[in-house]
Amino acid sequence: MSDVALPAIAAPGDFARSVARPAVVYNEAIVKKSVIAAMFWAVIAMTVGVYIATELAWPAFNFGQSWLSFGRLRPVHTSAAIFAFGGSALIGTSFHVVQRTCRARLFGGDALANFVFWGYQFFIVMAALSYVMGFSQGMEYAEPEWHIDLWLTVVWVCYAIVFIGTLFKRQEEHIYVANWFYVAFILTIAVLHIGNNIAIPVSIFGAKSYEVASGVQSALIQWWYGHNAVGFFLTAGFLGMMYYFIPKAANRPVYSYRLSVVHFWSLIFLYIWAGPHHLHWTALPNWTQTLGMAFSIMLWMPSWGGMINGIMTLSGAWDKLRTDPGLRFSVTAVGFYGMSTFEGPVMSIRDINALAHYTDWVIGHVHSGALGWVAFISFGAIYYLVPVLWQRSGLYSNRLANWHYWVSTLGIVFYITSMWVAGIMQGLMWRAYDQFGFLQYSFAESVVAVHPYYVIRMVGGLLFLTGTLIMVYNLIQTVRSPSTAVSKALPVGAALAAE
Amino acid sequence: MFIRQETIEKNAVLLLVLTLLTVAIGGIVEIVPLFTIETTVEHVKGMRPYSPLELRGRDIYIQEGCYLCHSQQIRALRDEVERYGHYSLAAESMYDHPFQWGSKRIGPDLARVGAKYSNDWHYAHLTYPQALVPESLMPRYAFLATTPLRIDDIQARMRVLRLEGVPYTDDDIANAGADLAAQADPQGDSAALIKRYPKANVVSGNGRVITEMDALVAYLQMLGTLVDFADTNTERLQQ
Amino acid sequence: MDIEPSDLIVGAMMLVFGVIGLILAAGAVDDEIYVFGLSLFAFACIFLIGQVRHHFDRQHAARAAVVAKDNRHV
Repeated sequence: MSDVALPAIAAPGDFARSVARPAVVYNEAIVKKSVIAAMFWAVIAMTVGVYIATELAWPAFNFGQSWLSFGRLRPVHTSAAIFAFGGSALIGTSFHVVQRTCRARLFGGDALANFVFWGYQFFIVMAALSYVMGFSQGMEYAEPEWHIDLWLTVVWVCYAIVFIGTLFKRQEEHIYVANWFYVAFILTIAVLHIGNNIAIPVSIFGAKSYEVASGVQSALIQWWYGHNAVGFFLTAGFLGMMYYFIPKAANRPVYSYRLSVVHFWSLIFLYIWAGPHHLHWTALPNWTQTLGMAFSIMLWMPSWGGMINGIMTLSGAWDKLRTDPGLRFSVTAVGFYGMSTFEGPVMSIRDINALAHYTDWVIGHVHSGALGWVAFISFGAIYYLVPVLWQRSGLYSNRLANWHYWVSTLGIVFYITSMWVAGIMQGLMWRAYDQFGFLQYSFAESVVAVHPYYVIRMVGGLLFLTGTLIMVYNLIQTVRSPSTAVSKALPVGAALAAE
Repeated sequence: MFIRQETIEKNAVLLLVLTLLTVAIGGIVEIVPLFTIETTVEHVKGMRPYSPLELRGRDIYIQEGCYLCHSQQIRALRDEVERYGHYSLAAESMYDHPFQWGSKRIGPDLARVGAKYSNDWHYAHLTYPQALVPESLMPRYAFLATTPLRIDDIQARMRVLRLEGVPYTDDDIANAGADLAAQADPQGDSAALIKRYPKANVVSGNGRVITEMDALVAYLQMLGTLVDFADTNTERLQQ
Repeated sequence: MDIEPSDLIVGAMMLVFGVIGLILAAGAVDDEIYVFGLSLFAFACIFLIGQVRHHFDRQHAARAAVVAKDNRHV
């Protein structure tokens, strides 16, 4: 062992430094780019979301234009929210987390990491452009045509190489829990993407293709994919984020190692089976529907395992919720995660699904997860990361971050409650019989009935967008304002603690 | 269980392999039997591939994202069957590459919209939905009537679908252009078309050029009309 | 300063992508492939230029570090 004397007060990282290991220079540039991209796409995704919500409230806003119509813009919104915003946040945080928990710089050099980032951004832009131009494979969250799917496959393989390669060159013996979730996310998305996009182009010089599977088989392949896009892209990947950024911000260890092991393996096993709950009462065979329902209900348990682990990590540090707005976002996110992962299994029960399917309740459920869990945990991670990456003393304004928190939370509440009411109302109206035994309501009457809730939903989305814009301003000021500059004359201990 | 977690998290290869195996199981168990169990797609009479114009119409349906507001799957629920017609069979979408069952009803289900309204109604509705249904949230699709339909690659499209299992005959493909023109020409002779594609609807168009709206109307007008439910029984519909 | 292997591999990939982009754009039967092909070509060009710039930036920074440290020019 070296004979370097330890400082009188140990700071995080001191032990590692006292042992003669070479200091690692992490690739932080890629994380910075990803954070900027994530916030940029968040604003775009939410703006398009507010616009299409406006179209649903007042269809005149389609203006009779092909490129503005709801049918072409909706995939722009969903892709921007899930893949552009969510994907950029996942790429950035996964690269940050894997380097630091492995004590190794990213595998593949700057070039490969840059290709993953820019290649992914290229995918996003090309996909959005193609939808607006009227090119789509007609499958939800898998709309990009074959040529863009191929490009994404190349980028994703490189992403896997960079991430997994970094695991292989790690200096830490154990692979930290966050990385199990990131790995599961990266690998499973590759399998799902390829499985759901097997298609034959009409011409190699044309964008149009036809999926090889048809009818009921393509239905289940689509929802095997679609549900696990939620399960692995929007859940496993962001659980990886949670498992790093909550302990880091709270300065506490993860609540239970054993729980993380159990819920990891059961989550990734059970999630895959849940696809059929999107197809209850349809022409999908009953045995498949039943399997999907059973596994969806079982899925509640590992999901809540993750929630418990995330929230209870705050043990001994609950007071930080008052002082650290970023951490508050993360913990609230875990709360919404718990809510959504209870609502999901409930909606997977066939008899409840008979009411809920095709209604706005599903949209409400999606957004409680997307806004409450995915966006909030990303905000928590990004509020933590920006001062660290740009070496600032802290956020420009905690007050602004508080405003963001409350405005956005209000936005979520407006969104989901309006959609719950609209959805259940639709479901009940569609199945209502009058005293003579005839269907009571025409379809058009249900459309009229939900109009006020579509307006409220639009307001909810607008509030959420406003919160995000507050965050963007706060982050820009954090990076640029002299008030957050770190003094060069900091003592050694404090400088180390800033890492 | 058999391998300790401690071992797995010290070995990246083990973590990767075990993760992949774990996530592979559910998909294989649920998806593979749908291809192998013969009764998954019911044996009913009447199903036929889309005619060239209907196929192009389906392409337009996907292009405009119609499936995002309209479902095409009537569930086996009493109120649904009463509102829309017989519940949808797997057989009825067997030639749909990919399926278009939809997952949201901002507008009504279209699984059996075929022949419920006149051609003229469809043209008027697509052009300005609110003129016929004031409460409608549907965008105006007048631009479809002024966009010429691309028809040069119709045979290539049918060939790809044949490769994927849709039973187009050589005769069907050879006559694709003629059938497409015949289905958009009410003055023309549609006998050969109807022989190849029973229950195909001839649409009226503008008489000069076949438009994307012609194709879409031709597609909509045959939805759900093919299977004769009087000529089957519950046993044959069992999956 | 050596060119890293990853720079070469990614650079070679970019050359291939650029050519593919041009070929796709040249034979395009619809607007989408045409736009995609040209954009892919542009992406490859810009990425390659960025790689070259990055290489020389690193070389310059390395030389500047040596000058600052040893007070000699390389």
